[in-house]
Amino acid sequence: MATNRTGSQRANGAPQTKVCQFKLVLLGESAVGKSSLVLRFVKGQFHEYQESTIGAAFLTQTLCLDDTTVKFEIWDTAGQERYHSLAPMYYRGAQAAIVVYDITNQDTFGRAKNWVKELQRQASPSIVIALAGNKSDLAAKRMVEFDEAQAYADENGLLFMETSAKTAMNVNDIFLAIANKLPRNETGGAAGAGGARRLADGEQPRSSACCNRAPPRAASDTRSGAGDASGRGVRGLRSSLRKAGFTRALVVSQAV
Amino acid sequence: MNEEALLVRAAEERERIFQRYERGRENLVGQIDPWEDPEFEDYHKTDRYGFIHDERLPQKTAPQKVNVEVEREKKWVKMLASWGSPTTKEKLHRRIYKGIPNSLRIKIWCKLLDVNRTKMENPGKYHEMLRLAKQWSTDVRQIDSDVNRQFREHQFYRERYSEKQCSLFNVLCAYSIYNSEVGYCQGMSGLAGVLLMYMDEEDAFWALATLLSDKKYAMHGLYIEGFPKLTRFLQHHDKILTKFMPKLKYHFDKYGLDAILYSLKWYFVCFVERVPFSLCLRVWDIYLLDGERVITAMAYTILKLHKKAIMKLNDMDLIVNYIQVKLHKDFGYDDDVVIYNLERSMEELKRAKLDYPGPPPPNELPKRELGAFVEPDKKSKIGQRAENFSDAEKQARATVILRREKAALDLQELRVSQSDTVSEHSGVAGVRCEDSASVLGSRRSLADTSVTSTADLSVFSSGRSHVPDNSLDTHSNMSDDGTGSDGSGVCGLSIQRAPSTTLSTPRATPHPPSVSPMSEDVVRIHVTYNPIAGSPSHLHPVTPTKFNKCYTEEQHKPTSLGFYTSNGSANMPTDNRIRIQVASEELLTPVVDSGRIITPRYVESHGFYDFK
Repeated sequence: MATNRTGSQRANGAPQTKVCQFKLVLLGESAVGKSSLVLRFVKGQFHEYQESTIGAAFLTQTLCLDDTTVKFEIWDTAGQERYHSLAPMYYRGAQAAIVVYDITNQDTFGRAKNWVKELQRQASPSIVIALAGNKSDLAAKRMVEFDEAQAYADENGLLFMETSAKTAMNVNDIFLAIANKLPRNETGGAAGAGGARRLADGEQPRSSACCNRAPPRAASDTRSGAGDASGRGVRGLRSSLRKAGFTRALVVSQAV
Repeated sequence: MNEEALLVRAAEERERIFQRYERGRENLVGQIDPWEDPEFEDYHKTDRYGFIHDERLPQKTAPQKVNVEVEREKKWVKMLASWGSPTTKEKLHRRIYKGIPNSLRIKIWCKLLDVNRTKMENPGKYHEMLRLAKQWSTDVRQIDSDVNRQFREHQFYRERYSEKQCSLFNVLCAYSIYNSEVGYCQGMSGLAGVLLMYMDEEDAFWALATLLSDKKYAMHGLYIEGFPKLTRFLQHHDKILTKFMPKLKYHFDKYGLDAILYSLKWYFVCFVERVPFSLCLRVWDIYLLDGERVITAMAYTILKLHKKAIMKLNDMDLIVNYIQVKLHKDFGYDDDVVIYNLERSMEELKRAKLDYPGPPPPNELPKRELGAFVEPDKKSKIGQRAENFSDAEKQARATVILRREKAALDLQELRVSQSDTVSEHSGVAGVRCEDSASVLGSRRSLADTSVTSTADLSVFSSGRSHVPDNSLDTHSNMSDDGTGSDGSGVCGLSIQRAPSTTLSTPRATPHPPSVSPMSEDVVRIHVTYNPIAGSPSHLHPVTPTKFNKCYTEEQHKPTSLGFYTSNGSANMPTDNRIRIQVASEELLTPVVDSGRIITPRYVESHGFYDFK
């Protein structure tokens, strides 16, 4: 779920930076370079022998765009079909997805198309999907033509880039393009992506956009607490006490 | 492409991949892509297990340790000579927990897994499976891509198409035919990779087969479609956390961290690449002796040993990185200490009857006869994925989604608590170890004795309080700065020596005279007095069990905050609990920490929290 906060309510007059948090999932056939793309984007590194992802991996990266800080929570999934049944757990509630294929392997492109189909069917209707043709440094062995992928992306309203985790080509760019496409205005993020998530039968709507995520520290003390459980800290307590008629309160606790 | 062409293409690809492994490194000179082949030049960086490190190794093993290992080796050699004898059985447990000498691991592991017997009972089977794999296996492409990235920093596997890489490929391909329900699942390359560091190809194959199908290890259920054993063991893991480390469980839930994310490799590959290799081998030694209980106990032990550090991390990213990466690089405890704690954990879990989630249900066991060849269907031959999820997969999907939903719901229920207050603002919740579990098991008794009725609730008039209004911020900020490094066990809200004893204020409860007001177990809540606030006499004494029944809508509903405790004063239940009453959900209150686990529950429509 999108979590947008503004610093305008800050009591201490800190700079007004908007913090947006987005969940992004990477999908695609095994060994196309999903983990390598993430590693390049998050740590600026590349390993020729990136260990295979079992289950899924989780990383975060923060980008600054104009007046906004965009924090990506990245879910990097395993590519083997056996793990496919776990994937919905990761793409559920995701605002963005990067579907990766290997430009030197036509099968992986076909597989990418299936992932796109599945996302269009199952994921949040407003999810931003990007298609990444990875391993563009191996253009000599190319099996998927750029134009073919571009045409497919256009048809389906996907962002598209050819990337290389090895040379870093287009890696930051594709994440930036996604960040730019995601709604970052205060209402847009919450209502557009997360809030519009379809609820399955019997599923309980969550009370708050960030109920299962802790807000970043800078943002955590900006809320007065209404409707936002995680904002209820000492300050929340204090305001509660004020409402109850107490003017001053101190909680003292000592370690056991 | 039509089906025929696709089939031909798939067969050609399989043939091509197999050929390269058959020819091996020596015969592929000039044919190996440079990107596939790393250049490692520095042999002095290889450790005693064969892993090659980026930097020079810190230090050689201390001479004393070498001596101990030499002495142990002698004993083990003796013991090996009389393997079946009763004295061996007697000594085996203790000696294995001390660690098998590395030079003898190959022999002991084969004994523990009864490799020789299985091999003798199945003459020629392995080679038959390998031959069939070459013709039929549909997992060759995946195995090839995983062999190319498994343990590449190990001297056996660093060169593409090296002897051990070929063995790894062969073992996995042969197994994919031998057990057609599992085929090949990512993760198995790690298992086979470790076995092959100690065994030859055929022995490793039978060792792998035993790990999957012997009921002591029963890893079959982990790797089949839908991962039924994984979900069952994760559920059990959650149960253990809830019972022994509820604060940590809450911490994980709060950051949306499902155990499936951080513990998958614990279960799938028995801690390979999640703890340092030397420790991993020690755990394997014990796993091979005692079976699947070891995994459950080790999972618990890891979290127990690192709870304090994890509780300080207020971001899923940081927690995951700590558990998966940091602990692999540096576990922070000597291997012997970890194994000691593992043994204690096993005892602890056994006492609580939580050491074992029970025998595998039928859906986790092999259904088809092992080693009986089944021709794959066309779709898997071509490598086409199934259009729809199978029933097992649907179930897995539902289970994992349910887990997350449940965690979210639990969290909502638990949300409003001091855990929030403390950890959000100081990052050191749990440093105080309310959880009954602890590193050396001593904390538990300590906590039990300290659950006293010493909670001291003092109510002050506003004029007498000299605490500045912003004191809370000051304190939480202070602890923010000071707690990251020392972990001294001081909770986030710093200790305040309030002048309670000198002021004649209305006291909710006098603390027992035997306990000093400033003793370690005292918890204080100072709230400036407000005459309209509910006083203890407003409240109906209720016991927690009858709580829901006797506190009904018809009864007086308080309109403001009031505290009362219950350590024996008039009209109070005598259960040594502290209750805080608030008028509505918006009036959130602190949880009073009386030195034991506090699980606040908000009761709708009553605006009441109960702490137990």
